[in-house]
Amino acid sequence: MKNLTQNPLALSGLVIIITVLFVAIFAPWLSPYDPNYIDIHSILLPPSYSHFMGTDGLGRDVFSRMLYGSRISLLVGFVAVGIATLIGTFLGAIAGFYRGYLDSIIMRFVDIMLSIPTFFLILAVIAFLTPSIWNIMIVIGLTSWMGVTRLVRAEFLSLRNREFILAAEAMGASDYRLIYKHLLPNSLTPIIVSSVLGIASAVLTESGLSFLGLGVQAPQSSWGNILTDGKEYIQFAWWLSLFPGLAILITVLGYNLLGEGLRDLLDPKNKNQKK
Amino acid sequence: MKWLHKMLNYLIKRLLWMIPMLIGISLISFFIMHLAPGDITASESAFNPKASEESRQKLRALYNLDKPLMTQYSLWLKRIVKLDFGNSFASHQRPVLWETKDAKGNVSKGMIQDALPITLMINLIGLLIIFALSIFLGVVSAVNQNRWPDRLITIIVFVGFAVPGFWLALLLMYWTGVTHSWLPISGLHSAGFEKMSHIAQYADLFKHLILPVSISSLGGLASISLYVRNGMLDVLQQDFITTARAKGLPENKVIYGHALRNTLLPLITIIGLSIPGLIGGSVIGESIFAISGMGKLFFDAVLMRDFPVVMGILTIGSVLTLFGNLIADIGYAWADPRIRRGISN
Repeated sequence: MKNLTQNPLALSGLVIIITVLFVAIFAPWLSPYDPNYIDIHSILLPPSYSHFMGTDGLGRDVFSRMLYGSRISLLVGFVAVGIATLIGTFLGAIAGFYRGYLDSIIMRFVDIMLSIPTFFLILAVIAFLTPSIWNIMIVIGLTSWMGVTRLVRAEFLSLRNREFILAAEAMGASDYRLIYKHLLPNSLTPIIVSSVLGIASAVLTESGLSFLGLGVQAPQSSWGNILTDGKEYIQFAWWLSLFPGLAILITVLGYNLLGEGLRDLLDPKNKNQKK
Repeated sequence: MKWLHKMLNYLIKRLLWMIPMLIGISLISFFIMHLAPGDITASESAFNPKASEESRQKLRALYNLDKPLMTQYSLWLKRIVKLDFGNSFASHQRPVLWETKDAKGNVSKGMIQDALPITLMINLIGLLIIFALSIFLGVVSAVNQNRWPDRLITIIVFVGFAVPGFWLALLLMYWTGVTHSWLPISGLHSAGFEKMSHIAQYADLFKHLILPVSISSLGGLASISLYVRNGMLDVLQQDFITTARAKGLPENKVIYGHALRNTLLPLITIIGLSIPGLIGGSVIGESIFAISGMGKLFFDAVLMRDFPVVMGILTIGSVLTLFGNLIADIGYAWADPRIRRGISN
């Protein structure tokens, strides 16, 4: 933690993410209006003191909708990456630990999944299964575990024959104990870094899907679907397009900064490079 | 000659290896296609209230939708081995892949045949721009490590990474197209394209391509500049660079002759790996700019549950990726003697 405060990139990323987290948790208390309240007397009002970010085509307060939208992007990011990390770590651990034909089968499956254009796959599944936030999280998770698998496997392969592992094995540690207590804790760095970076791309994917109309469905608000509304009104209401886009940009930037910062901090190779 | 022989062996091995890969890919996409509740007959009849249960049954039989899943799959697989991807359910039943002639001699063009060159053109131009610019940015960044050009480029790269492409597309479209009318905002041709001279046609196409190409190259630009920067920093630490400097080589030669060459080698592999992302990324860009490439074709097909088109594009997209990776690996072996020797042994 002490090092984290000395790395300006990681620190600014952390500040951004904590802010978004705070906004998402306290959205009901922070938002001045009900995000779904339709007020036909105040349609498409520009930003003002009473509506910080203006109102949309149905007279709903954009600021309140943005605050609630942060919950969606946070939820999608964490759940999707959680699923991907669990699957990826599990498969990568098995492949790297047992090697042999299990390893070949798993890695060939990874190769297959990597050669299907992922966004096409996600799009097809979401459209066929009716779009909902749960489907989106699961599908993004199920299509983004391959990188973690490769990382964990590589890490396990390089650790597998180190003295401390051989010693534990000689003392009669079970496979489960070897993996869970010895190998996994020593492979955490790349898993953490790739998870943080993964959240960034999950947030982008969700907003892209919502933008195409296959994401979170109305009346629930997400940054992506506020932007879709904004597209319709872009000639009269710039605020509908500007704010959600900026919010996505800043959030994704936060995760990327934190991820790259953590990589620099936790990678011992980089320490010699800096000084 | 011996080397060529080994290379040929390697190539054949890789090509054979593609067969099980393709079967795996087609299996995954085929079963995903059938996750959907309801089928094409349901959505077609929704447009036609007069469709009777009997006519729906006929439709199902025509497309083998009434048979068990495994039978459907093997029937489909048998056809794609002959490169027959069938005809679209919708879109006047056009052939999915390539043009065919009917009994009367009318030629109807394939949907992928029309769409693929457009997407390829946009992405290839994008790739060229990505490489030219990101090598420049990465080198400038690395050479000036931790000074202001590096800091500025790093900020630009991180922002470029995080910008949602569709958002930027929307803003640019509004700003350059609607407010100022500098650039056309949709399609690839203006009205009356056929009557223009050749030069005017190219100029028109160029103007239409500016926005879509810049949007499609944004993400790659950011990630590859970062990659070139970090790669350069890594290489500049190595002993052979110290040697080159010690023997009095001018700094320019050290950077561009020795360091850059070694940084660029792994980039060849990265191009291969970026292909599925580029193809997938074309959906949003092409939908915004109303360009009828692979992305838009796929999106429309997905919404209409046009299974043959969806399956065709998934398969062709994956085949392109596999070939892209193969070409990248061969290119890598060709450029790096160490790998070449590795293949021979």
